[in-house]
Amino acid sequence: MHEIIRLVNRNLTISLNMGFVIWQIISPLIYIFVAGFAYTALIHQVPFGNKTLDYPAFIATGMIGFNIMNSTLISGIIIWNDRRHGMFEQILVGPFTRAQYILSNVYTVGIIGLVSAAMITAVGYPLFFKQVEFNILTVPLVIFASITGSILFGSIASIISTRLKSSEGFNVIINTVFLFFAFVSTAFYPAQGAPPILSTAFYFNPLTYLVDVVRAGIFGYFNGLVATEMIILGIGAAILFLIATKLLSKLEL
Amino acid sequence: MYCIETSLLSKSYGDFVAVDGIDLKVEQGKIFGFLGPNGAGKTTTMKLLTTLIPPTGGQMNILGIDAISSPLEVRKKIGVVLQQPSYEPTLSVEKSLEKYGMMWNVEKKIRKDRVEELLSAFDLVDIRKKKNDDLSIGQRRRVQVAREFMHDMDLLFLDEPTAGLDPSARRGLLDFIKSKVKDGLTIFFTTHILEEAEYLCDDIAIINKGKIIAVDTPEELKNKFGREKTIKIHISEQKNISSLLSGIQDCKIEYDSGVIITVRSSQSEQVLQNILQILASNGITVEDLSVVPTSLEEIFLSVVKNSNA
Repeated sequence: MHEIIRLVNRNLTISLNMGFVIWQIISPLIYIFVAGFAYTALIHQVPFGNKTLDYPAFIATGMIGFNIMNSTLISGIIIWNDRRHGMFEQILVGPFTRAQYILSNVYTVGIIGLVSAAMITAVGYPLFFKQVEFNILTVPLVIFASITGSILFGSIASIISTRLKSSEGFNVIINTVFLFFAFVSTAFYPAQGAPPILSTAFYFNPLTYLVDVVRAGIFGYFNGLVATEMIILGIGAAILFLIATKLLSKLEL
Repeated sequence: MYCIETSLLSKSYGDFVAVDGIDLKVEQGKIFGFLGPNGAGKTTTMKLLTTLIPPTGGQMNILGIDAISSPLEVRKKIGVVLQQPSYEPTLSVEKSLEKYGMMWNVEKKIRKDRVEELLSAFDLVDIRKKKNDDLSIGQRRRVQVAREFMHDMDLLFLDEPTAGLDPSARRGLLDFIKSKVKDGLTIFFTTHILEEAEYLCDDIAIINKGKIIAVDTPEELKNKFGREKTIKIHISEQKNISSLLSGIQDCKIEYDSGVIITVRSSQSEQVLQNILQILASNGITVEDLSVVPTSLEEIFLSVVKNSNA
């Protein structure tokens, strides 16, 4: 078995527990079914490309991106725990390189991101199935968004985990950053109609691009803006991954 | 053949020289003890030899491989138990052994057998289902050391492996290590506990301030640095003994309550003979007499003290 596969196997074993899996399903379900239907009274319909979506369908697709982002927290947690519990050094005196360690984290969050996206797609499907237009061209959009989004947010979590020394600091920073990403984005509500400053802020947030590309894939709507968002997402993921790799490889032992 | 061979190996952090041009030779199938006071450079040397950090100077050859140009090739053949604890908090004891074997690409069937063997050898059977996070420091250390034996290796680095272990677990671990050496394993071992080094090691190096100040077998170190012996004589009565023995040369004599005489000398046989003659000629009966050879601890303290001076 290749070294990276062995490390991914180990990462999945140490990170996935029943509590995490249940939370990954329950929290989006609450947003989809409780917030989705409760806010329908306020937000009836949301225009998206050439379509008009029901709010539950809109938020259910937003939750796919939200869940991908949340699950990539694991990347930061793995690195944080490995440093805190001495496994980072132990792995690096084993038959592994730093590059393999970093790549194994990327693959781990990629797998978790994809499974997460699939899970929420399955759960939310009853809400958006009427408007779904999956086809051979749009399904890859969802997969692209899941993978690049996982790498991007996984890199952010990794960067935070390499810069902080106290567990309190790590938790506060990571929760604040991810809370900002979650609520200053188009995951929960559309940019149209929001105050101009806020709707502009939405587009300084990578979760907006991730969610928009996922929606484009599910509702079969592809235009120049989606293509641009995909490019930004890809470039953002590449840059942040390089920064995370640089910081990890410079971590003192 | 040497498993470890270094030449002028150095590591500096800015102006601070942690390891200062050390030359080491460790023979195959031996236990090599690496001793030194706190901050002497033991752990930095260990990190250099295990390729965890690169040297700033010198050369090192581990298991016939240039460890500076091919660190990964070295790491594939060695095992390392670092001084700091390392564990997966969410895994049970047996799962962490099993996963560690998987990480080293050990076949599933072999892994299963080794887990059982190590759980038994390290007295972990009763806590096999306990999570690492719930273990005591000593139990966690036992798991950490046991885990390293999940994979095959030619050379094992142990950085204070018995830290936190109770005497029985410590003896068990040392005996287990000895049994592995009989099977051909070479061990590089650092410790603060000098009885352990004396019990276990074939060769010993003492490091201080980043430099090797002595290397030899424990016996040779004693011969070189431990010629001085301590003689304790218990006499029957107090009879102005200090003035009687004042003429004895080449020794230091202490009188405790007048009836116990402690003599330290590098020419112990001659000094003892002289003292016994004086005691006999003055009608003083010797009730008890013992000669204590110098321990490795005394040698260690003396060598480090001389090096500091």
